[in-house]
Amino acid sequence: MLQNFSYQAPETLKDLYALLKKSNGKATILAGGTDLLVNMHNNWISPESLIDIKKIPDLKGITFNPKTGLSIGATTVCIDLINNKDVKKHYPLLAEAAHNIGSPQLRNRATIAGNLCTASPCADMGCSLLALGASVELGSADGVRVIPLKDFFTGPKKTQIKKHEVLLRIIVPVEMAGAKFGMRKLKRIKGHDIAVASVAMARTAKVMRIGVGSAAPTPVVTADLAASTTLEKAVAAAEKVICPIDDVRAGAEYRRFMVKEFVGQIYPELF
Amino acid sequence: MLDNTPKKDLKYVGKDVERIDVVEKLTGQALYTADLEFAGMLHGKVLRSPHAKARIKKIDVSKAKKLVGVHAVLTGNDLDYRVGLYLVDKYILARDTIRHFGEAVAAVAAETPAIAQQALDLIEIEYEVLTPFLDPKQVFDKKAPLVHPDLGSYSYVEAVFTPVPGTNIANHTKLRKGNVEKGFKEADYVIEREYTNPNVQHVPMETHIAVGKWDTGDRITIHTSAQSPFTVRNLFAHSFKIPHCNIRVITPYLGGGFGGKAGIHLEPLCCCLSKLSGGRPVRIQATREEEFSLLPCRSGLIYNIKTGVKKNGKIVAQKMTMYWDAGAYADYAVNVTRASGFSASGPYEIENAWVDAYTVYTNKPFGTAYRGFGHVEFSWGMERHMNYVADTLGIDPLEFRKINALRPGSKTMTGEEVVTNTGSVTKCMDAVAKSINYGKLTAAELAREKKTGMKIGKSVVALQKAPAMPPFTGTVMILKLNEDGSVTGSHSLTDYGMGTYTSLAQMIADVLRWPIERIRLPIENDTDRDPYDWQTVASKGLLLSGNAAILAAKDLLDKCYDVAAQALRAQKCDLDHDAEKVFVRHHPKSHVTYKQMAVGYAYPNGNAICGPIIGIGRYIAQGLTNLDKETGQGNPALDWTFGAHGLIVEVCEKTGAFNIIKVASAYDIGQVINEGSVRGQAIGGMIQGLGTAMCEGYIYNDKGQLLNPSFTDNKIPTSLDIPEEIDCIAIETPQIDGPFGARGVGEHSMIAVCGALGNAIEKATGAVLTHMPIRQENVWKALQSRSGKKATAKATKPAKAVKAEKPAKSVKAEKPAKATKPAGRAKK
Repeated sequence: MLQNFSYQAPETLKDLYALLKKSNGKATILAGGTDLLVNMHNNWISPESLIDIKKIPDLKGITFNPKTGLSIGATTVCIDLINNKDVKKHYPLLAEAAHNIGSPQLRNRATIAGNLCTASPCADMGCSLLALGASVELGSADGVRVIPLKDFFTGPKKTQIKKHEVLLRIIVPVEMAGAKFGMRKLKRIKGHDIAVASVAMARTAKVMRIGVGSAAPTPVVTADLAASTTLEKAVAAAEKVICPIDDVRAGAEYRRFMVKEFVGQIYPELF
Repeated sequence: MLDNTPKKDLKYVGKDVERIDVVEKLTGQALYTADLEFAGMLHGKVLRSPHAKARIKKIDVSKAKKLVGVHAVLTGNDLDYRVGLYLVDKYILARDTIRHFGEAVAAVAAETPAIAQQALDLIEIEYEVLTPFLDPKQVFDKKAPLVHPDLGSYSYVEAVFTPVPGTNIANHTKLRKGNVEKGFKEADYVIEREYTNPNVQHVPMETHIAVGKWDTGDRITIHTSAQSPFTVRNLFAHSFKIPHCNIRVITPYLGGGFGGKAGIHLEPLCCCLSKLSGGRPVRIQATREEEFSLLPCRSGLIYNIKTGVKKNGKIVAQKMTMYWDAGAYADYAVNVTRASGFSASGPYEIENAWVDAYTVYTNKPFGTAYRGFGHVEFSWGMERHMNYVADTLGIDPLEFRKINALRPGSKTMTGEEVVTNTGSVTKCMDAVAKSINYGKLTAAELAREKKTGMKIGKSVVALQKAPAMPPFTGTVMILKLNEDGSVTGSHSLTDYGMGTYTSLAQMIADVLRWPIERIRLPIENDTDRDPYDWQTVASKGLLLSGNAAILAAKDLLDKCYDVAAQALRAQKCDLDHDAEKVFVRHHPKSHVTYKQMAVGYAYPNGNAICGPIIGIGRYIAQGLTNLDKETGQGNPALDWTFGAHGLIVEVCEKTGAFNIIKVASAYDIGQVINEGSVRGQAIGGMIQGLGTAMCEGYIYNDKGQLLNPSFTDNKIPTSLDIPEEIDCIAIETPQIDGPFGARGVGEHSMIAVCGALGNAIEKATGAVLTHMPIRQENVWKALQSRSGKKATAKATKPAKAVKAEKPAKSVKAEKPAKATKPAGRAKK
């Protein structure tokens, strides 16, 4: 179906907030559009208006602060993250995760924030950012609030973002800078594919976390585990947070097996 | 025909000559159907059914018709025309009954694609959803819903096919050779297993597209991305009862077909929309998603093989039952069934053979031709089965294949005798076995196993295929001499990527002894301009059109000699020629150039003789017969191209992940015409085969709806998925009636490579796989049911037969497996 929709591209946060308030939940934020436009093309959604946030300077860029950690602006695309020096140095897991997304064309266009807001269970950035204990900053005319990413996802394609809110940036805590990490993604071909199951693990001197994708209704993460957690306990912790299903991509049983297998593969890389 | 030019005098044949269409393709100047613009052209779009089986209770197009910019809206009620290649069973748009998910229900033509889409959205349909028939194995269930209750009233090619009215059987092909029951009694072992394949999509780079124009006086012009312009014309003429001479079909450059564009598809709909729009040209271009369900796919297959074998490895009897899942319409599937039926054993001699091959209608997207024409599908089962039988006997699988391989003196399943010049499948197997160091792991491979923790396995499989075509398939090449002594060819074999035109140009150049630059074969075809060819399918193009090209070149020279004989007052036997002229052999200065005679030779005083020169070559398959409908005996094969693949795989026993390390492929193609084209066919087809083997295939829900109708969940191999190493080997046993001794190799590279992967994985790990595709998860599952014992990667010949021990365990694998000794002995 061809869709009629209005298109607006505000240039300041203030204008954006005003538009969001006015539209009262009938607008959808457009950043990279790599999910949104496909969904519209397939008639899975039909928003009344699209608000393009790419012209807002405040939402751009990646910054690293030795006190507060990494900030990833909402319009940052995958390739920016992959090429960013601070990311490479302090959070190489993120660069690897971003590299796992789609094809070069998609990585040039798709935003990190969009990957989270789509809230697909297979979002490639989900499990890695969860493992790093990231938070998201949401803004609206009413102010700004920060929530942990693990509370952000509420179901398949569902998040905590309220209808007049926008995701401003992703914050990765400085405590996780330099964490040991590892990531695995199960695909059906060696070329680009959606994750059939994925695991990202990060470990510092204090904490170990396991993020898992495509094995629950949302990307999920274990509780903060002790840095010295044994492999057996790490596997058990991962198993506890997943509840995979059978679909055309794989069976639940295999997903469960591969999540445990991936934890086992990554574990030695964390020490 | 085997030309008698000594090989040393061949300047082009057998050499790596650059493709003649390379410049326009690489620079983007080649014009494909989608590049063509016509004055007043409208855009057509098709509304597809979301249901597999339904009755159309009500269809309301009134709102769509009123939309500004819409010129035509059609539903099945408007079009009482059926089309069909061999069995005329398909309405252009569904009438009353929906038979598959994605079936065309209505169509519109409008000034822009957007308006057309809008009009589709305004069409209101009420369906009564019915229970679909989905499992071809339930074909004998008398209560099964019928896909075509009117099957008995359809017209079909009676000499070749056998539909069974009152059932879902669109065709039953039988083959009876020798005495199977007697053979099973003589056997030491009888081994039976079933193998399955899903529907698979062709995925040509260029999706289906056609532009149709229906003018006053029923004059039709069609530009289309079709493999066989004359087939489009012929089927169109029959469906609409319009004289052939009123229909003109033009095929511009083609972006791949793989069999999916062999028949007639979007063309009738474009033309009907054009007629309703007052003759404005109407274009329909399929989206990628439409390729998966509106357009046809490859049929699924359930293949049951029961083999009687002696302890010494000789197969003495084989009963083969094929259930081809044709989908909603017969299209090519009935002929796939026939062609696979007579070839179902693979390149092995079966003294006593019995085949029942059923084309079964189901409520799924319909099957058509796909590179290999059934051979990829059945070879998966047969090549897995050959290993299963060999393992049961304790004979090395390669040795077992050689024991049973067709050789001079063997009789094929249809009773045709194999002669020396048929080619050698054993040579192909030996060549690939050598290339992959079959039977052992090298030091490097052992080191690799140690490093990766994965298991390496190797396999060799064999294949064969003859063109599946009517016994009277013929073609023509016309060569027109131009004013400057160059030549322009005219024929209707299409070149949708294979490179055949370059090969034909090489042959013509070598027969004429002219530089190839003076031979032009236009890539576009036009049924008004070019002479007849049946179709461009079946790997028959090089042989038939090659012979026609040689004959045309000889005819052209003969006519040049006629002119020279007259002009030079010489006998033809005293004449010879080179690239520029015909001359008297013993007085070379006495000559006439091609330029002088091209459009008629003129004497100095103005008198002229002979007129413009053309050469004509006509060639038709020799000595082929229809097959006896009861026994399947006869002579169906223009030529048999034999081949073999050797494959090395490494498999993670824990997760089922695997990497293909190497594929070596050998084909006995008689004579290499163009090295690059052979390599292209060999590698391209092999990778396409691996796609089928590793990841492709339709997945349906229990309502018959396709769950993976796009690249999101229907993956095809990418550049990262190709084997680490590829080796291509050509064996040259000349085909006596092939051009310069050559045979076709267009499809063969895709055949049997799936079985090679399955066999190598089993060799490495003991995982028993009987269903394609082999996804990592499937390997994992098969590894779970290994029951503790696994094969090792050592390929030494086991000292003793393992009796039926292994098959008995294989019962626990995915699919039922049986291995019984003949009656009277205890089962183990």
